Amino acid sequence: MAFANSESSPAMPSPEAVKILVAGGFGVGKTTMVGALSEVAPLRTEEVMTEASVGVDDLDGIDSKDTTTVALDFGRITLDDSLIVYLFGTPGQERFWFMWNDLVQGALGAVVLVDTRRLEASFAAIDFFEGRGMPFIVGVNCFDGMRENEEEEVREALDLDPDVPLLFGDVRRRDSSRDLMIALIEHLMAGVPA
Amino acid sequence: MADTPPRSTGEPGPGGDGRGTTHWTEDADDGLGLSDGDSESLVRPYTITRGRTAPERTDLTLITQVTASDRAGEENSRDARRLQPEHRAILGRCRHPAAVAEIAAAVDLPVSVTKILIGDLIAEGWASARPPLAVAEGEGGAPDIRLLQAVRDGLRKL
Repeated sequence: MAFANSESSPAMPSPEAVKILVAGGFGVGKTTMVGALSEVAPLRTEEVMTEASVGVDDLDGIDSKDTTTVALDFGRITLDDSLIVYLFGTPGQERFWFMWNDLVQGALGAVVLVDTRRLEASFAAIDFFEGRGMPFIVGVNCFDGMRENEEEEVREALDLDPDVPLLFGDVRRRDSSRDLMIALIEHLMAGVPA
Repeated sequence: MADTPPRSTGEPGPGGDGRGTTHWTEDADDGLGLSDGDSESLVRPYTITRGRTAPERTDLTLITQVTASDRAGEENSRDARRLQPEHRAILGRCRHPAAVAEIAAAVDLPVSVTKILIGDLIAEGWASARPPLAVAEGEGGAPDIRLLQAVRDGLRKL
């Protein structure tokens, strides 16, 4: 079968692919971060959710109680011929992407972006990753590096586990977004038993 | 090999418009009338899959790398002409390995619909797939340290 043999398929070996999520509330800069790092303009894809528990959705004029479409933006970072990082910005409407198992399963970890003016917008994402046992770090997005809060204040407000790294950054900047990613990977490495 | 039985992608004729097969909206005539323009965007993708709403393969993830096989070069063969336009569009997008999510974005179809169509292509030998390494999710497992190092080192060079 083609699938079973695909590991050894000759002509063009497939690269290894890893997935990292960028989460947080609406408007905290998820797509900005994806765009800052991606080598291509962020792509948009969508999934049709058919869970009965979706609740009221905002599709215009569609009389369908249990179907909604969730769109997400993602980007790609080709590290070398054999390794690609896909960066998925979770959709803003948390109650939908939480049901998108394929989005979460197999992800290495997540960067949860927070905006200190609206910390509560990112509570749901933090709760979700904690509950799921998925490693994450918190990136405090501060435009132009304006830090209006101290780290301890933010940690306290988020009720963050002391082991979870928290960094400040400006996700419009590529180097800043990259540093958040590196912090996540190092956090993951610290969690690997020696 | 307990693989997906090949589905006859040719039926029910070029374009596979679903006529003559059981459609998932059939028992919901009132609510989701096909004449309702607004619901067309939801109904049409599953017409493309001829009523299938869930991928039979559970091994296709968002980042599974899909590659068209050599056979995809035989674009004008009789077998290739039996493919739906959406199947062909997918093959065109994965001449080089591409992730399921990238293919879905390129052909502008929902991910689950794209997975169903990719499943057809794999079953018939038009494409192959490489799933990502299993990454343990918290529960006792841990990702491969060498993989993490490679990712970190690669990111540092950005």
